[in-house]
Amino acid sequence: MARKWGMVVDLDRCTGCEACVVACRAENNVPTVGEDQAARGRAIHWIRVERYWEGEFPDVRLKFRPILCQQCDSAPCEPTCPTYASHHTSEGLNAQIYNRCIGTRYCANACPYSVRFFNFYNPVWDKPFHLQLNPDVSVREVGVMEKCTFCVQRIQAAEIQADAEKRGLKDGEFNPACVQTCPPKAMVFGDLNDPESEVARLARSNRATKLLGELGTKPNVTYFEAESWEE
Amino acid sequence: MHIRYRWVYVLLALGILAGALVTPIIYWAEQGAANAAQYPTAPVFTSAHRSLADAIRDFFGLHPTPVQPIAYTHKVHLANGMDCTNCHANVESGPVAGIPSIKLCMMCHQAVATDKPEIKKMAALSARGEDIQWQRVYDYSPTAHVQFNHAPHVRAKVECATCHGDMRQRTVAVRTVNMDMGFCVNCHKLKKVSVECIICHF
Amino acid sequence: MERRNFLKVAAITGATTALDHCGHPDHQLIRFIPEEDLTPGVAEWKPSVCTMCPAGCGLLVRVMEGDAEVVRNGQVGLMRMGLAKKLEGNPNHPINQGKLCPRGQAGLQVTYHPDRLAHPLKRSGPRGSGQFQEISWGEAITQLVGRLAPLRSANQSASLAFVTKPIRGRRRDLMEQFLKAFGAPPGISFEAFDEAVLRRANQLSFGRPQMPTLDLARTNYIIVFGADFLGTWNSPVAQSVGYGVMRQGRAGSRGKFVMVEPRMSQTGANADEWVPARMGAEGVLALGLAHVILNQKLRPAGDMSRAGSLIKGWGEGLPEYTPQAVESRTGIPAATVTRLAREMASHAPAMAIIGGPPLAQTNGLASALAVNALTALLGSVEKPGGLLFTPLLSSSPIAEEGSRASLASFAQIQTLLEKAPGIQALLLCDANPVFSCPRSAGVREALEKIPFIASFGNFIDETSVLADLILPDHSSLESWQDNVPESGAPEGVVSLAPPALHPLHTTRAMPDVLLEVAHQLGGPMATALPFKTLEDMLRTTYGGLGGGKKHDPKEDAAAWDKIKADGGWWSAQVQPSAPLLNPVSHPPIAMTEPEFDGAEVDFPLHFLPCASQMLLDGSLAHLPWLQETPDPVSTVMWGTWVEINPKTAGQKGIKQGDVVEVKSQHGSLRAPALISPGIGPGTVAMPVGQGHEHFGRYASGRGANPLAILAPMIEPETGALAWAATRVKISRVGEGRLALFAGGLRAHPQDEGQR
Repeated sequence: MARKWGMVVDLDRCTGCEACVVACRAENNVPTVGEDQAARGRAIHWIRVERYWEGEFPDVRLKFRPILCQQCDSAPCEPTCPTYASHHTSEGLNAQIYNRCIGTRYCANACPYSVRFFNFYNPVWDKPFHLQLNPDVSVREVGVMEKCTFCVQRIQAAEIQADAEKRGLKDGEFNPACVQTCPPKAMVFGDLNDPESEVARLARSNRATKLLGELGTKPNVTYFEAESWEE
Repeated sequence: MHIRYRWVYVLLALGILAGALVTPIIYWAEQGAANAAQYPTAPVFTSAHRSLADAIRDFFGLHPTPVQPIAYTHKVHLANGMDCTNCHANVESGPVAGIPSIKLCMMCHQAVATDKPEIKKMAALSARGEDIQWQRVYDYSPTAHVQFNHAPHVRAKVECATCHGDMRQRTVAVRTVNMDMGFCVNCHKLKKVSVECIICHF
Repeated sequence: MERRNFLKVAAITGATTALDHCGHPDHQLIRFIPEEDLTPGVAEWKPSVCTMCPAGCGLLVRVMEGDAEVVRNGQVGLMRMGLAKKLEGNPNHPINQGKLCPRGQAGLQVTYHPDRLAHPLKRSGPRGSGQFQEISWGEAITQLVGRLAPLRSANQSASLAFVTKPIRGRRRDLMEQFLKAFGAPPGISFEAFDEAVLRRANQLSFGRPQMPTLDLARTNYIIVFGADFLGTWNSPVAQSVGYGVMRQGRAGSRGKFVMVEPRMSQTGANADEWVPARMGAEGVLALGLAHVILNQKLRPAGDMSRAGSLIKGWGEGLPEYTPQAVESRTGIPAATVTRLAREMASHAPAMAIIGGPPLAQTNGLASALAVNALTALLGSVEKPGGLLFTPLLSSSPIAEEGSRASLASFAQIQTLLEKAPGIQALLLCDANPVFSCPRSAGVREALEKIPFIASFGNFIDETSVLADLILPDHSSLESWQDNVPESGAPEGVVSLAPPALHPLHTTRAMPDVLLEVAHQLGGPMATALPFKTLEDMLRTTYGGLGGGKKHDPKEDAAAWDKIKADGGWWSAQVQPSAPLLNPVSHPPIAMTEPEFDGAEVDFPLHFLPCASQMLLDGSLAHLPWLQETPDPVSTVMWGTWVEINPKTAGQKGIKQGDVVEVKSQHGSLRAPALISPGIGPGTVAMPVGQGHEHFGRYASGRGANPLAILAPMIEPETGALAWAATRVKISRVGEGRLALFAGGLRAHPQDEGQR
């Protein structure tokens, strides 16, 4: 059976530390835009930690939710792309093909999770920062949309290696950068079509919820809500 | 096509000249001045094209044959019993085939053919601690966003010559095979390998 | 007509193309022979140790071959070398178990930073002007020796001072041995948020002058007084790993987390119950909880521990700390105090920990002793699910670290400033007291007068800009790493790793420079430090670890290779050594009221500086990845903010993003306001980290530094800076801007109610 990549994020474990945000940026050559552009809402964070306030002091609560591309089965960004730069792959990913992208930004407009980011300018790295750039990931140019790819470069590398060794992929053999670095292990990644995989097992849990699932996007990221303490 | 007014031609020419000048200005403008001394080529790394000429080459897919610093000849080396992987050694282990450093060449050439002028040139470089500035012949434009990986192709028994031409007749490498996307896709279809965009473009 | 013009146009295009090709810059740089043999496109993963905070997590560095522009022998050229592409946690390291925090991930930007010092420098303009000129290593070392040698010959060895950020391991030993052989006083260990108060409290309560290790993975209940343990405090990654297990890692069992703090922090957001006790009254709350447990006999009577005996009235059941009395002193309802006490007593194992703002008060030590006594009462000291202490190798001189570790950074700096008129030479390594100390302490003014200052750090900052001589160290990934972590693991750990990278610039390892200087100074210095390099010293000390018969060179060599490959040595076989010091007798303390600087009538608000999740204490402000990562609570990027309660802001006509002036008795600053429901009406909070004047292109001239306006209040016994004991007043200055990532992904200069 073809693979279907999915993720589970346990909000009870997530501490809001944002290690995932920096790890993703390091792995995927995500540029920084500087203060002025950030103030104009153009900062690029393929994964971000949203926070939600409830109540007033002193009965106040703060909740964190990491949000990344949900790789939706019915992704609203896909039908709206005029050049097929945004489309679904056979392994369940929403692909963003940079060289097809002509920068209409319809996809970002359509995405209800606001996980698509546009390069308003050519990204710039003051040398020698560029030495850190990951050679396994493209560097995007002006006019191109980008977003979380579930670290497709790691998926490709693992699949090529498994083919070379003439074996299947083992569950947990590799992870996207965010999942790998998360200190409280709030994130799990794997093949949803493998019933033995941890992510498939967790996705069947009664704690499983989907973000904005009522919109019919069929996201492949499952969230476990934070629990409360009972005596 | 006949344009009536001469000034249109002048404007057109000026426009192109301006573009030729402005593109590098935009490129240089994206720089931090403090780095200039340490990085004489350019103080920043950016996706911007370095010049209008660069942009034109990229757009039309032009790959002018570069000039190599040493007049290397594949013909002679292959005739003497070497094969591709003696120098381009990493082609089975990863994405990059690699071009060896001068250390590999000097392993033989400290004794072999030392009277030849090109070898002398190389020996002088090596003595100065310098490596040969080989100019890249096979690469993809960054805007093509291709992540090519040699290893699976070599494991699938694709011959080097299929993409790189028969080097037994060549001195330096030249792009003899027109490696456009159609070339890749045709072979993928023939071999019944995936042609999904995401396989190569990420 | 047509063809001529076409040719004209074509000629111009062709000319520009040709011109560009001839003058193609890359074709002009020479290429150096590579120093390493790497397979291009294939990564090697090398162990290392993270140095972004004192926790000392183990790293794996992804090294791949790439082309770098380097300077060799004064020439610029290209060179293929191993480049660090990604950092991950070392899965085998007992502290972080394969995980890494955002600061650790950003560590890559230190090695490849454009403002990193690439070669030795000599001051060429007035002191502090930032004008330097490049010199060679030979000149630099000659100059350094030339300034140090006369001090020895004139019997003025004691006039040498060395200020460094806290380091542990052989690097520290080398430095101390250098100073001792020279005849100078021991090195000064400086950091902004130092932990002298907690170490002192742990020394008194438990006989261990050491930061605690929390066994969160097995605990059922933890009440935290102020410590940002999931963000910036102590060993955040180790604690986060344990926290994940505490929540969802044990079937059917989910521990409770209660947070006591005046302002909602990233850590506090995760609490099941959030308790905003009055600032400085945290110790009172702890004793209130102990009172309930003692008086209702919720714990076995035998828990008359040493920790408890340090508290006045403990033996009598703490009669002054009834829930009602506690309510009036802390603002927490009596019923809550009673309920929490019952909960923690009935959900063993339970523990109480303290850190951060409660310790940064004039009564900080008393509060720490109170919380320690509570944990002891709960029976959780050195027990599963409780407070542990990482075993320290008793054979190492680092074990003596403890006694020195209790000396507060601020106290050490104040001593230095008092002695400054007599100091002839100052050596600096990655410590920035000019930035981190209150302006009123006069650090800059005092240091400026020292005749000779040399700095080993990688960057120019507010303190190293005063240097006369810069001898830049390698970056941490280019250096031998050795660290003996103080906390974060239940077993003894020595982290050790060879350099993961060849040096990019013309830098030199600081320990090796010290060894060279010692060698040139000769005499007892050369004898005391017979090693050529730090590597030699490490091999001599650690080569025998990990088994192998003593003095068997082959087994020792194999053990050494294994340690290097693993990134260190760790063993559950190391028994926690007996408490390091004989119990220091100490009279029982009473919980005193905290003192605050500034009369309430003039300065009505408490001022709370907070360690920033991204920038920590400001030492990471130069990294653009961290500047652009939104703060977890405020989502601010690239800036400072003043967190104000909506009511307080409304009273003063302050709207989101307005610039406010924050004034203490010792200074004032300006920053944009952030209206936040997470802070009470009587307090304002600011993140620490911005407000640099000299710290590279990304940090300089940005935001404001709350540490600068602090009052020099201290905790009297340790001399630690009570950085949460300042009162301020605020007023609106004008409109401003905040770069927020929240909401509509826009700055909200004028939006009320938009958070």
